[in-house]
This record gives sequence, C-alpha cells and structure tokens, in this order.
Amino acid sequence: MTTATLDPVTLALVQNRLDHISHQMGWVMTRTARSPIFSQSHDFSCFIADARGTLISQADGIPIHTGGGGFAVRAILRDFKDRIEPEDVFLLNDPYTAGGNHLPDWVIARPVFAGAKLVAFACNRAHQADIGGGAAGTYNSAATEIFHEGIRLPVLKLIEGGKVRDDLWRLLMLNTRLPEALDGDLRAMIGSTQIGAERLALLVEELGSDQADDFFEGVLAHADRRFRTCIARLAKGVWRAEEPVDNDCFEPIDGRIVVTLTVEAERLIVDFAGTSPQIRGFKNSSIANSTSAVFMSLASFFEPDLPKNEGAFRSVEIRLPEGTLVNARAPAPMTMNTVFVAHEIIHALWKALGQALPDRASAGWSKAVHAVTAGIRDDGGRYVMYQWAGAPAGGGVEGRDGFHLIGHLITLGGLTLPNLETYEQLYPVRFRRQELRCDTAGPGRFRGGAGCDYEVEMFTPADYAFRGEGAGAPSSYGAAGGRAGAGGEVILTLADGKKIQAPKYGVERHGPGIYHARSPGGGGYGDPRSRDPARVLRDVRDGVVSAAGAERDYAVAIAADGRGIDEARTAELRRTA
Amino acid sequence: MSTPPPPTSPIVPPWRIGVDVGGTFTDMVLRDAAGAVRIFKSPSVPADPSEGVLGVLRLAAQQLDLPLSALLRDCALFVHGSTVATNTILEKKGARVGMLTTEGFRDSLEIRRGIRENQWDHRAPFPEVLAPRYLRLPVRGRIGADGTELSPMVAEDVDAAAKVFAAEGVESVAVCLFNSFLDGAHERGVGAQLAESWSGKWVSLSSEVMPTMGEYERGSTAVVNAYIAPKVTSYLNALDEQLRQLGLPRSLLLLQSNGGAVSVADVASRPVMLVLSGPAAGVGALKGCAAPGEPANLISMEIGGTSCDVMVMAGGDVPVTDALVIDGYHLTTPSVEIHTVGAGGGAIAWVDDAGLLHVGPQGAGARPGPAAYGLGGENPTVTDAQLVLGRLRPGPLAGGAVTLDGALARKAIETKLAQPLGLSVEDAAAGVIRLLEQNLLHAVERLSIERGHNPATFTLVAAGGAGPMHGTNVARSLGAKRALLPRAAGAFCAMGMLQSDVRQDYLKVFLADLDKVELTTLEAGFAELEARAGDAPILEREVDLRYEGQQWPVRVALNGLDTAAARKKFEAEHQRLFGHIQPGGRIDITALRVIGRSRLDWTPPAARSPQVGTPTPREMRKVWVDPAHGWREVPIYDGADLRPGCKLDGPLLVEERTTTAFVGPRDRLEVDERDDFLVHIGAAP
Repeated sequence: MTTATLDPVTLALVQNRLDHISHQMGWVMTRTARSPIFSQSHDFSCFIADARGTLISQADGIPIHTGGGGFAVRAILRDFKDRIEPEDVFLLNDPYTAGGNHLPDWVIARPVFAGAKLVAFACNRAHQADIGGGAAGTYNSAATEIFHEGIRLPVLKLIEGGKVRDDLWRLLMLNTRLPEALDGDLRAMIGSTQIGAERLALLVEELGSDQADDFFEGVLAHADRRFRTCIARLAKGVWRAEEPVDNDCFEPIDGRIVVTLTVEAERLIVDFAGTSPQIRGFKNSSIANSTSAVFMSLASFFEPDLPKNEGAFRSVEIRLPEGTLVNARAPAPMTMNTVFVAHEIIHALWKALGQALPDRASAGWSKAVHAVTAGIRDDGGRYVMYQWAGAPAGGGVEGRDGFHLIGHLITLGGLTLPNLETYEQLYPVRFRRQELRCDTAGPGRFRGGAGCDYEVEMFTPADYAFRGEGAGAPSSYGAAGGRAGAGGEVILTLADGKKIQAPKYGVERHGPGIYHARSPGGGGYGDPRSRDPARVLRDVRDGVVSAAGAERDYAVAIAADGRGIDEARTAELRRTA
Repeated sequence: MSTPPPPTSPIVPPWRIGVDVGGTFTDMVLRDAAGAVRIFKSPSVPADPSEGVLGVLRLAAQQLDLPLSALLRDCALFVHGSTVATNTILEKKGARVGMLTTEGFRDSLEIRRGIRENQWDHRAPFPEVLAPRYLRLPVRGRIGADGTELSPMVAEDVDAAAKVFAAEGVESVAVCLFNSFLDGAHERGVGAQLAESWSGKWVSLSSEVMPTMGEYERGSTAVVNAYIAPKVTSYLNALDEQLRQLGLPRSLLLLQSNGGAVSVADVASRPVMLVLSGPAAGVGALKGCAAPGEPANLISMEIGGTSCDVMVMAGGDVPVTDALVIDGYHLTTPSVEIHTVGAGGGAIAWVDDAGLLHVGPQGAGARPGPAAYGLGGENPTVTDAQLVLGRLRPGPLAGGAVTLDGALARKAIETKLAQPLGLSVEDAAAGVIRLLEQNLLHAVERLSIERGHNPATFTLVAAGGAGPMHGTNVARSLGAKRALLPRAAGAFCAMGMLQSDVRQDYLKVFLADLDKVELTTLEAGFAELEARAGDAPILEREVDLRYEGQQWPVRVALNGLDTAAARKKFEAEHQRLFGHIQPGGRIDITALRVIGRSRLDWTPPAARSPQVGTPTPREMRKVWVDPAHGWREVPIYDGADLRPGCKLDGPLLVEERTTTAFVGPRDRLEVDERDDFLVHIGAAP
C-alpha cells in the first residue's frame, strides 16, 4: 500500500494518537520524576521511533532535543540487531558511540512488539541531576576531555526480558553524587516509556501491524510534504552566514560557526564547512545535538505546528565536518553543547534563512550571563542557587518586539523564571533589583527585548560557577536592518568594596557580597527609523529607550515634556535619515 | 430545541432561580418548592449582559403567566453566573490602571516570569501589559523574608505617584509590594496614603485580593482586579439594585471561580474572583449527578459551541487550585480545576496544505457560526457534520433563533473536506466526528493522568448542548462503563448554580516544618483566617504541604491540629499524584487555608411518574452510526416520552429541549430516578 491510498481519516487519527502518546509519556514523567528540574524546567523529551529508528513523534519536549532521538534508537538497532526482545529496556548516553547528544541526557528506550514483530520504540531523553565527573550537577567548565564530565554509557540493556539488571543498576548508582535522585528519575523514565509502549501496542493492534507501518510512513510523508511547502517559500540560491565563538571556555579565541545553506527545488543542504576546529572546553557539539539545533532552527523559523518528526526533515541534508565545533572527535568535552554552541548554530542558520526569506527573519537572542552559586547556610546546610532571574532577552521579528529577559534561546523561552520572593525563602539572600535596562534593546522596527539589572545581596560565602557567555560584546544580532542589543556583564562587589569582574567561565570562591548581573539585550528587526513613532514614544515613556536613544537610533524627537512626539523635528530627522 | 412547553403543573412558591449568561444564550433554570424544574433560554445581549438577564426573566414570567414582579418576589434565592469579568478582560475594556511596587521590582508584571503558553509559537507577542511601565511607580520601604520591616514605607513616594496618576487619568490602582504576603502593613499604608493624595476610589491591594507567595502572580492578580473592578463592580451593583427594585427580596448571589456562591457585597472588592463564574458552576451541577449512595467519581465534559471544559470529581471533590490563566494573564485566585480544549459544536474542520484533516481548535463562534446557520459561514463545523450524518434535525434551533440548513452544511463539507481528501461527503462528515471525539478523549485522558486517576473507573458526564451527542462514544473509548447525559444538558451550569454552596476561601502563607511546628502558632494562624470568615456556619481547615525543596504543594485537610494525620494524608495523596513518597522525609507547611461554607439545602428534583409501557419513537431516520455499522434506520425519541425506569437499546437518538443525545449500538439507555439519561456502555445484547 502506498501512502496515497491510506484512508485520510485514519491517518489523521493516527497522527493525533502518536502525538497524544508522546504527550502522555511527558505527563507521567512530569508527575513522577524526583528532581525539580523536570517539573520546573521540562528538561526532557519523550518520543516515538518506528522499527527502523526513524522518529515518528516528538510532540513533547525541550526544543533543543527536536529530531535528535532517532540517532539513539538507530544505535540500539546497530548494537543489538537481533537481540531486541519484548520487555527489554535500553539505556544510553554517549554522544560519540551511542547516539547521545551530551552525557547528562540519558535515553531510556523500550521496544514495542506486535507478536514477535518489532514495531516501534517508546523513548524518553532526560537530563540527570548528577552523573559523576569533575563537578557536581553535570556541568564541569574545567573539563578538557569527556572523561571529566561523568560516566559514559554505550547502549546497555538495563532491563532484560522484564528483569532489571541489578549489577548494572548498582554501577549507575555508584557513579553519581545523588543516587536517590538518579534512582527516582530513572524509574520515572522507565514508567513513562511503559505507558507509552502499552498505548503504542494498542494502536498497532487496532491498525494491524502491517498497516501500522504504512500509517507511520504516512505520518512521515505528510510532515515531509508540509516542510516542502516551507522550502518553497525560500529564495533559491546559496546563502552563507556565520556566528562568532569568541572563547574556548578558558581564553579568547577567534572561532566561528559557518553555515552554507543551499536552497534547491524541494531540497535544502545545510553545510557547516568552514566552521572552526573543535576546542579545548566543553562547548563542542555532537552529531545528534548539531542535528537537533538545525531542526530547531528550521522548525522555529517556519510554523509552530510543524510536525516534529524526522519526516519533516527528509528534504534536508546536513553536512557536519568531522573535527569541528559541530562534530567533534572523541574525547573532546561537550556537556555545554545543548546551550552553547547550539545557540551559535541556531543564530548562524537563522541568519542564512533570513537572507532567503527576509520577512520571516528573526533577530538574535542574547546569551545568558547567569552564575550558579553554591554556599553554606547558617544551619550548615548546603544550597545551590541559579542566578537565572537575571536572564537574557529575545530578538525582534516582523510583527512583535523581542521578549525582555526571557531566557535561553534553546528553549525558545520555555524556561520559567523564579519569583524572587520564593528565592528569598529558599536561600540566604536579599534581592535589591530586577528591572529592565534602558537602551539595551537592539534598535529595530521591531526592537529587541531589554536585558535587566539584577542585584542580589549574598549573605554567605559561596562558590560562583560563572557562565558568562553573554558578557562583553553584544551576543545578539540585528536582522533586516535592525541592530544588536547591548552586551552584558557580571560584577561582584565584596563586603570591603572590592569589585570583581566575572570571567566568562570559571569557578571562584568569594565572601559575602552583592552579585550584580547586567544581562544583554536582544537584537532588533528592520530599520529602526521605520519604527512607528508612537511605539518609540511609548518606549521612551516606559524608560526602555532614552530620549537621546530615540533621536539617535529611531530618528524620533520627543517633546520637551517627555509625553509627546515633536512631530516637526521627527519629520526633519527622518527626512535626513 | 424548541421553546419550552407550558408547565403542566402549577408553580409552587418559593422558588430558586439560576441564570447563566453565555456567549450566545442566557440560560435560566427555575426550581419551585415542589422540586419541579423549568428551563428557559433567550439570546444574550453582549453589549449589556443585564439586558440578557432581564430578557430571560421576562420570557419566563410570560410563559409562567406571572408578572415579573411576582416571579422575583417569590424567589428565595437568585444565583447568577456572569461573564462580565471575563469579557472585560477578553475585550480589553477595563480601566486605566496604575501600579505601585517596591522600588527595584516594578517590572515583575512585564517580565511575567518568562512564561510562554506555547514556546514553539515564539512569533506570537505577549498580551498587552495591563499597567504600562510608565504607570508602574516605585515606593521605597522593604519587608524582609521573615516578615519584619527592614526599612519604612516612604509616604512621599505615594504622593508623588498620585500626582502622576492624576495627570495621566489613572482610574484604578493596584499595589503589590515585595513580601507583602508576609505582612500587608506597608500595602495598607500605601492604600491609606492614596486615599489622602489621590482622588480616585479604586485601589486593589495584593495582600487583600489574594496574599499568595510570588510577586508576579500576586501582582498580576491585583492588576487584573484593578483593571476590571470599576466596570464589573458597578455593573453588579446596578443589576442587583434593578432586580431589587423589580421585587427581588434579597441580594443576588454570584458564582465564583472556586465553584461557590457569594453575595454582591462580599465580592465587590475582589471581582477577579468571578473570572470562571459560569464554568465553575459545573461543580454544583456534578453534585447533582452523583448516584445516591455511591462515591461521586465523575468526569464531566461540558461541550458548548466553541470549547469543551473537562472537570474531574473524585470522591465528591473537585480540586480547587490557586492557578488560573485568562487570555494570557496569570491569576492566583482559588479556582476549580478545569481543562479547556477548543472542541465544540462550532469547531471548524479543515485540511492543511499537505492534505491532513484537522478539527479545531478554531471555532466558527456564534457569528457566522456553522455553515448550516446560513449567516455567511463557509467553513464546515462539527454541527454541519452532524446534520449531514442525520443526527441533527434540520430546521429551527433554540426557539427559532437560528435555522439549520442541511444543504449548506453538505456544500461546505463537500468543497472544503470531501473533495480535497477524495472522500464521499458522508465519509468526510464521519471523519470530522471521529476526530472531534478523539480530541475529547485526549482532553479527558490528559486531566485524569495529570491528577493520577484511572478514568475507566469513573462515570463520564457529557453536558453542554453538544455533550450528549458524544458522551457514549468517548466513554467507550475511555473504557468507562457508564455515561450520564443530563436531560437539561444545555442548561447544565445554570442548574449547577442552584446546587452550589456559598463559599469563600481564605489563605495565609505560613512556612514551617510540619513535625516541629508550634501548635499554638498554627492555631493562631487558623484563628486569624477564621475571624475573616466571619459567621460562615461551616469552617474547614486545610494546609498546603510539600516535601522540602519541591515546587508544588499538595493540599490536605487538617482537623484538630493533628499533624501526624496530615502527614499520612499527604503521603497517600503524594503517592497517587506523583507515584512515590519519601518515607520520613521532611514535610514543609507552605500555607494555611480556611474555607467558609454554608450549604444551600436543596430538595432533589421531584420524581416524575415512572415509565409505563414502551415509548414509541417520534420517527425513524437514516443516521450514520459508527464506522462498523455505517448508516442505519434509527429510532428518534422525544425526550418528554422517556420517563424514569425506561430502558432502551441503541442505536437511537433522543431529542430534548436543550440537546440531542446519541446512544450507540450495544449501549443501553436507562432513564434513572432523577430523570436523566444513564447509558450503560456495551450492556445491550
């Protein structure tokens, strides 16, 4: 049967059902996982692959996992070919040998059978609280080899014919600082794939296993057709873009992600030739992560409801030169890659896409500057506090300004910032400020989001793990005539008045003091001089743009009382602009 | 649907009236002292909802052959569900709002904690901030994390802000100071100072509207309250006054988001509590659906024109949470847990640019509505599919307010669905119904999975005008054994209003280790809340508990300060909700709650005389039944002919005044003792 002869109603029902099953796995995971990271940050994704390891549904999950799950399932098929049995459950994480994206994201995959026939996999990829390695909490910015980053897992049978391999389980628990969390979270992952596998088995039974394959193919073919309509909107040609990578986590470098986008009829080639060699620090990307970053760029550039399965990207060829930042050779460290260089990959590809379809271009999002602080309370208890309420900002697009301090690009704003009142209850700190920074939003017809001034008094000595990728030069970019937002910085003022300028990466111990993050602004979209003067006035009244900035960047003159536009002078300014 | 027939028995005073204002229709339910229920429906008047209320009252008076004054004079209880709060937000017709915050924190409202409803849809802007930054002004002074004053509130800052508010034409002011959930003294000081230096009268203090922890949601709630208060409170006062002048002996009650009723006077300062006013009445309605003597384990789908509201009642309780989102604005008001999906009779069916069929979430609304309305709608909807499949009767609907035209329905499905998909019109229509019912099933499964329930063990209540058409199929897919199709499905919420308790929720953030808390402190905390509850006859105490370091608390009852019992209840609930517990783990109290309640005693509806003999169908009609059975000659019954005790095997359709019920093949319909349609799934031979 070809997909053209499939009953269209059943096909629609199967599409929805697959997405519902991946959602169901996600709801079970959110509800049963132990670590708050899953309920608060949703740092996981649930997905379904067919018997060949092709991703057929990933309705649920963090955007930077988009489309990457197939590599893991194909590694299972490669390593266990004829030894995949009912009631088996597989575990893996290694980005070099097992289709992982980076070590902290562990994949649990459960094969689904119809009788003796393998028909699908129900899977969950989730970020673990601790996997050993050189630093608590999985992020070791001092790593220069993957061995410094935690335990590496090839494809393993964690459960064999319904029986957990206890020896293996004990090995895993020995290699974490938080065995309770890992134990609870692994069980939640296993439980969620159990639900997924049961529902998938039922679906396959209802369809009949031969027809199920045809319908899965129909779902992929539909996504393929939808993405081809997206490609048709791009101008044919070859589009090049690059994004700087200005440090290797230890010292400044002159690095870059380079992408060449070739748009042909119903085909895209995304080639990273020219990208800098892999680096010493832990930002190197894996094949799975770079592929996800490409898919996330493409999906977010077009429609929000594009199916997130591998069919959608059948017409896309990705070329990742070996030994570069986007496809490092072992044993380069790579834990940071899902944030940086994913951010840089997305920026580079968005820039290229923006040339091929300027109306749809997105200005750049700025990069985070937040530190993670760990200290000891008065009662002797240890605390770890993420300073992420001082978040970076989004870029403008046609029709809307960028979001003020929204968070990481790789979640597209999916991370929820904490209430500061809650943090004052949890940690020995007192907040002083969390307000928009004036004149930090990248100017544009739709301007970028503003960064923020974030000030908090830290009452105890603490270890500061700095992650200041957004410090220094602007980290966003302007699109279609818009401009980048302001850069950021982090300053620590100690009790004796000494000021410390935070490095981009590194762990430093300091006494009590005031942590002050000035987060960077997002890029603007379109010529700022074409921005509606009424919107410029509103920004000036709001204190997001200064009157001087309005005149300089937007060619809008504000009346002396600050409440209106000086129409005559504005006309003059815009005429000479 | 047709105009209600004249009552067959004389109306017995005193009676109760529930009025639910919906987008299209205003529903009224009257129950008299003998328990007889009468339902009236008339068009809503969106520009002036009180006109819709008076309109349905006049219609009822006329049909009951009573003067309006007599209808109101003998009304012992008048409960109103009003969309005026919701619509003021949706239509952006609220007041010009200023806001005062602690210096350094005036942007929480606009930062919104970065919460995106659909992160993939990053091109969608946030909704307009309701208090612009230039009207959000700082006040110096600070309350610390332990509730003590670190620096005093600076009254001069309030005076300076008042000048700006006056110059800018601010009509309503919200105040949200940092840590005011621990001590509202600074906010009260700001309020007092505003009374001195500002001429406006609308001030909303976050610590009085809802003193929850978290400056964003608490501030957002105060701002929405400030935004709607001038309009909503004035409207409610005027309506109350008008009804009183027309003869209503006592103030009307309003249904709140927490599912309880409240007087106009008690909600006047906190109209933000009315945002879910209509749908929350589903709780009262569900109470009336529970079979006597059985635990009330019910899942309801209330399906209207544009959306479906799903609610779970387990053991007689519907969870009340502190989280509500309305049009992108976050509220922390006590609200019945409802999951809403865009799946109703007006849901539009469409084919995407790669040839896949979809149903919803967009709807055709009341205007133009389904293609069959003939009001210019060209998109096929679920209603159009039902017409094509013979399940709805062409002709006048809702007393002639609209007319269903089968030919228009057919044409829309043919051109927009059948041709692009290469299907017959009938197969395309059947596909629309199957996809809609799949959406409904998924919505029910989602809420039950998230709350840790097995939906197969529940009775599915399918209400709303479009509910009884889908109840049996969704129940079957869920694995449930029973579906209850209320006879008055189309006036479900108005019915619920007559069965809702009067209820107010009071909350105090209270942080302590459950095992080490000083019982005298705990008692004092509850006493403070109970003093606020005043003379409510029933006071219930609850605590919010969570394991140390976790984010979401679980709410459990606390009787007699028995903290050991509270730990046990918490563990049982935690196990059910999250699948695990931490034996002996530290449990933190995060809040104390008091619910002040007074139950409205209500007589169950009068029993109708039982069925005698077998009812005769009104007609036989060719109807598409399901994929396995296809088209069949199906009996169509007039609901009035089916009385308690009646049992019929499907497939069949029952036409009632406010709904049409579909019973599938192999299902058995029973009219239960309350005169509702109880369907036993798979019970027919």
